Amino acid sequence: MVPKMIKELFTIKKLDLSLAIFIGALLVSLIGSMRYSDPLKMVGFPEQPPSREFPLGTDSWGRDLLALLLNGIKNSVYIGATAAAIAWIIGVAIGVISGLRDGLTDEVLMLITNIVLVLPSILIMMLIAAYLKERNTFFVSLVIGLTSWPWVARAVRSQVMSLKEREFIQMSKMAGLNETKIILEDILPNMASYLFMTFVLLMSGAMIAEAGLSMIGLGLTRGVSLGIILYWAQTLDSVRRGIWWWFIPPGLCLVLLTTSLLLLSTALDEYFNPRLKGG
Amino acid sequence: MLLSVDNLTKIFTVGLLRKKEIVAVRDVSFQVDSGKFVSLVGESGSGKTTTAKMILKLIQPTSGKIFFEGKDVTMLNKYQDLKEYWSKVHGIFQDPYASFNPLQKVDRVLYQVFGLIKDQNVDRDKTVREALKEVGLNPEEVLGKYPHELSGGQRQRIMVARCYLIKPKLIVADEPVSMIDASTREGVIQLLSNLRDEYKTSVIFITHDLGLAYYVSDEMLIMYKGQVVERGSPDEVMDHPSSEYTKRLKADIPLLYRKWEGF
Amino acid sequence: MILLSAENVRAYYFLPQGVVKAVDGINLSLEKGITLGLAGESGCGKSTLVNTLLGSIKPPLRLVEGKILLDGKEISKMNISKLKKDVWGVEVSLVPQSALNALMPTKKVIDFIKDALVQHKKFSDSEILSLAKKRFEELNLDVKALYMFPHELSGGMRQRVVIAISTLLNPKLLIVDEPTSALDVSSQKQVLRTLLDLKKSGIIQSMIFVTHDIAVLRQIADKIGIMYAGKLVELSSTDNILYNPKHPYTVGLINAIVTPEPEVKRRKIMSIPGQPPNLLNPPSGCRFHTRCKFAMDICLHKEPPLLEVEGDTLVACHLFSSSKGG
Repeated sequence: MVPKMIKELFTIKKLDLSLAIFIGALLVSLIGSMRYSDPLKMVGFPEQPPSREFPLGTDSWGRDLLALLLNGIKNSVYIGATAAAIAWIIGVAIGVISGLRDGLTDEVLMLITNIVLVLPSILIMMLIAAYLKERNTFFVSLVIGLTSWPWVARAVRSQVMSLKEREFIQMSKMAGLNETKIILEDILPNMASYLFMTFVLLMSGAMIAEAGLSMIGLGLTRGVSLGIILYWAQTLDSVRRGIWWWFIPPGLCLVLLTTSLLLLSTALDEYFNPRLKGG
Repeated sequence: MLLSVDNLTKIFTVGLLRKKEIVAVRDVSFQVDSGKFVSLVGESGSGKTTTAKMILKLIQPTSGKIFFEGKDVTMLNKYQDLKEYWSKVHGIFQDPYASFNPLQKVDRVLYQVFGLIKDQNVDRDKTVREALKEVGLNPEEVLGKYPHELSGGQRQRIMVARCYLIKPKLIVADEPVSMIDASTREGVIQLLSNLRDEYKTSVIFITHDLGLAYYVSDEMLIMYKGQVVERGSPDEVMDHPSSEYTKRLKADIPLLYRKWEGF
Repeated sequence: MILLSAENVRAYYFLPQGVVKAVDGINLSLEKGITLGLAGESGCGKSTLVNTLLGSIKPPLRLVEGKILLDGKEISKMNISKLKKDVWGVEVSLVPQSALNALMPTKKVIDFIKDALVQHKKFSDSEILSLAKKRFEELNLDVKALYMFPHELSGGMRQRVVIAISTLLNPKLLIVDEPTSALDVSSQKQVLRTLLDLKKSGIIQSMIFVTHDIAVLRQIADKIGIMYAGKLVELSSTDNILYNPKHPYTVGLINAIVTPEPEVKRRKIMSIPGQPPNLLNPPSGCRFHTRCKFAMDICLHKEPPLLEVEGDTLVACHLFSSSKGG
């Protein structure tokens, strides 16, 4: 079942392309960050344009921008994936429970979801930033993850609510299967498309959120990410001063990565939907 | 008397702020004896499927009572009690495709009911194969396949095979043959009759097809807008209908041996 | 006078997994003034045949062989834009399955009519309105429906409205595909009445009614054609099909019908064992041989041709082809 799925998946061009771009970028960054293990080291003259020694030039502190970029990609993807995982687990869990239960449980969970939905996450992060002086990649992931799950919970809940009316679920119920088994065997597998897509979308959203947070100074305090590079670039007025090799590469990478993820999600949608119809 | 349904009512409330009430089933009462086919006949919106789901304990009634084998089962909600109930009262639904998890092999709907059977030492594979043969299916052709690889008739027969495994006292069949080709319907109905003849299984046969109900039932109940408007033996209901609705239904059904006036 | 003829029509679906021979060698002719019922069960190809008869052939469907003539004109050779302008709605109209759900939910009925007619001729708004009103009155449809939205009408009413709209320009032939399957019996009767009125008043000349419900055909069709696995297996008058069916499949089909009549209860309903074949890989010879209790050796190897027997009945079965000096 699974191998066949993967084989069919790869017949979709969009999927090949988007996966190739994303994994390609990730691999390059992983290898690169091993080679350039200390990107924050001062290695050359400040604000030098790209040269043979430094393919992406240097920033105001004389640091190698290529090294910064490669490490930045790695960390941004890490934050994206971790935040997505956190939000996904919370959102799916709440969505499934809320979808299956009527009455009080459902209402309470939806109330919580709605509250978190309207909370301005920027405000929360500013408050937290005020208290915590040190923010590492995991922490940033946590903050983003804990504030971006509500739409997942709602989407999953409505899918579950429509699925649970389907006859095969009722057949499983009458066979005496307990709720956990029904969730794992009947409900979740038949929502696979949703589950994949929400993860991919969460990831791309999280990477952008990280960039946004970092650019207002609430992101990482230690380490480098695409957002942090952009933050420094902006703080040191690189746009006006024409230091294009500072802000264009990270911006481009961010766009490339998130776009490939979005493309991936549409490819997944395309794959899953005809199957659902044709099956 | 196997099943007794007394004044069953189901009201659905829709809407958040301005709540609207939909009375799906209103004051429905009837009884089913052992080894009898009782039909609930009605068109869409008549409440017949909601009634079926209440008897199958998939929906809670708003009011009224359900007695099974003399016990009040209306409020049954403990896991163990429900399992016991479903080993004696089981359902077959209309859509033979939707009754299967599309991602799993069809074997699953059969093997999963062993949790309901008392005798845990039975040879499962052998029992499943025998049940499939009882319903006229070749186990080699059917086991290991996915739902979309089989025809509607085959899938519905597997559902009946599932009942052969459980041997319930009562089967609630909601439009069991309406999504199967007409030329293969009788085969499935015959299987339900066999269950009745061999094991005294009763069947609540739910359908919109008056002709089918007339052919198959011992007793017919006609439902309209949530209520039972007519009941009796098939001959009584068809030869001497008392309600306007039944008379209208009768007049509007296309017949084989008679032509409509003015057509 | 022949209105529509299909000669040796073969239309296949070319799919990645293989070729589905949905319509495989159909010969059919429809006279003016006749209502032909096309009956068959799942996978028999009747809906594909209907689209083919109209010339509505889009990939992966392809017309592999044969021609279709409507009133002498070769439909099978026309391109889609010519068909849309001059043929569909004008000479022949199709009311497809679930047409009652195809009405744009945000448009009133009269606006939908305007959009539909504009494709063929330049009508003024008032012309359209008077044409629509007149037609609705002729068919006993409430004229108020013209100003309503589709969801404000009942299922049966919507179907009758769709039928009225598709025949506004008086096409010679109307094809309806399962027009009443989703309706309750009373709405069904009304729709059938509307179809009959269309014919009686001369608005249409002939009709093809596609359905799996033979009891409905009994009430409305003059002739019935039985399809099985992409082939036409029997074609005769309604009475012949009902009371004197020849092809074993037809016999099985008739015996499986359940109506609340004492005759049916007496003769007992029967079923045909097995299921219709997969058209990716149909059985050799006669496609019904795997389920036929009269199957002979020749049935496995040779496809029976559609031959005329006993006056006006066409059957494709070796039980009968030998009697005509094979």
